[in-house]
Amino acid sequence: MTVRVLSHQEMNIDNEDDVVLVRRAVRTLAEARGFDSFAVSALTTAATELSRNVWVHARKGKAFIEEVTDGDRTGIQVEFVDQGPGIPDIEWSMAGGHSTAKSLGLGLSGSKRLVDAFHIESEPGKGTRVRITKWKRF
Amino acid sequence: MPNSRDYMARLGFDAQELSSRRHFFQLTDEDLARLAALRPFAERHNDAIIDAFYNELLLQHPESRLFFTDQAVFRRAVTAQKRYFLQLFSGVCDLDYMEDRLRVGTTHQRIGVAPKWYLGAYAHYLRLISSHLFREQGSSPDSELSNRSIQKIVFFDMSIAIETYIAAGVEAIQRHQSAIRELSTPVIQISERVLLLPLIGTIDTVRAQQVMEKMLARVVEAQARVIILDIAGVPVVDTRVANHLLQTTEAVRLLGATTILTGIRAQVAQTLVQLGVDLSTMHTCSSLQEGLEMALSMTGRAITTRGA
Repeated sequence: MTVRVLSHQEMNIDNEDDVVLVRRAVRTLAEARGFDSFAVSALTTAATELSRNVWVHARKGKAFIEEVTDGDRTGIQVEFVDQGPGIPDIEWSMAGGHSTAKSLGLGLSGSKRLVDAFHIESEPGKGTRVRITKWKRF
Repeated sequence: MPNSRDYMARLGFDAQELSSRRHFFQLTDEDLARLAALRPFAERHNDAIIDAFYNELLLQHPESRLFFTDQAVFRRAVTAQKRYFLQLFSGVCDLDYMEDRLRVGTTHQRIGVAPKWYLGAYAHYLRLISSHLFREQGSSPDSELSNRSIQKIVFFDMSIAIETYIAAGVEAIQRHQSAIRELSTPVIQISERVLLLPLIGTIDTVRAQQVMEKMLARVVEAQARVIILDIAGVPVVDTRVANHLLQTTEAVRLLGATTILTGIRAQVAQTLVQLGVDLSTMHTCSSLQEGLEMALSMTGRAITTRGA
């Protein structure tokens, strides 16, 4: 399955307000493309969780918001990239309920459940890259 | 206008900043000595340069002319400008000089001279000075050096003025932010023992803390038994907002009161379930109206139809 990128925008995450700006960009795009309100809520919440992770753990990073198609359907793909401390044990962090930042520890596991595709790679000391995709339902 | 000493401190204009800025602008003691030596030149040409500056440039420009509402204002501006001009050739560039330049900058900013007009006027001003200088002293290595010293101090001055513009903008934003925070966290007393906190907008770190503190203070003050947290106006309820709600609930519980969460939209409910957030420690109602009824019944009251 090849995914083709239809549009692309890049946003910096350098402070807490940027989390809101990224979320707003994702919401605006999802609404403009006719995602239903439940999907919009799920996608924007996941985008908020992941961009906040960038801010909380790395203090600096980027969000790439893309409109994609696999030929049959269209979707929105958002990739969060940072050069922060990285995640030492992805399995532990993805299991849910664990946090290194005094939070509920549900951000990663919860985000995964909110979207259709979730890809994470991280290397301690190098940074983290998370990509989520939500497809539009017919 | 803020006290200029305080303002200097806020902008970080201190001896170290002065020396590092002078270093970067390469504004050396030789430059200052050269400027001091140009003082007689400045005095000879002061009137001609400033009059030309006002009559040829500012008064020909409709937007600039608007600043001079009457003759008295105009004369005051010209007098101030002549004094300012001579100060360029004082041969001194210390903290007092910086403070004075800062005051010039804040005045421009306060009366509403846009940076583009300020910079454009300054470019013209500099050309006027140069042409008078070369006309009087001819083109020589010496007059070139003098011209360069003038350029350095003028750009030094402009750097200070531009910072006052930026600082004023940043301060306006901060004022607005704090005003918005104040506005958006009202704690409303509904009945004797019931408080309502309608959460609106994005709950960032600072606001979350403010909301919690204000709320807890009011719970104690009003001896409240029930607190309704309405989240209908929160665009996204993520794990962070949920965590904040849970912590507030726990703190309220320690004060002997109960929290009711209302205004949960269907989309938010589904999202919270998928996130795996457990809000079972909170009473929840989908609408504020149901929440109000629950709160009143918890405090032994009810809304009834009159005469029924």
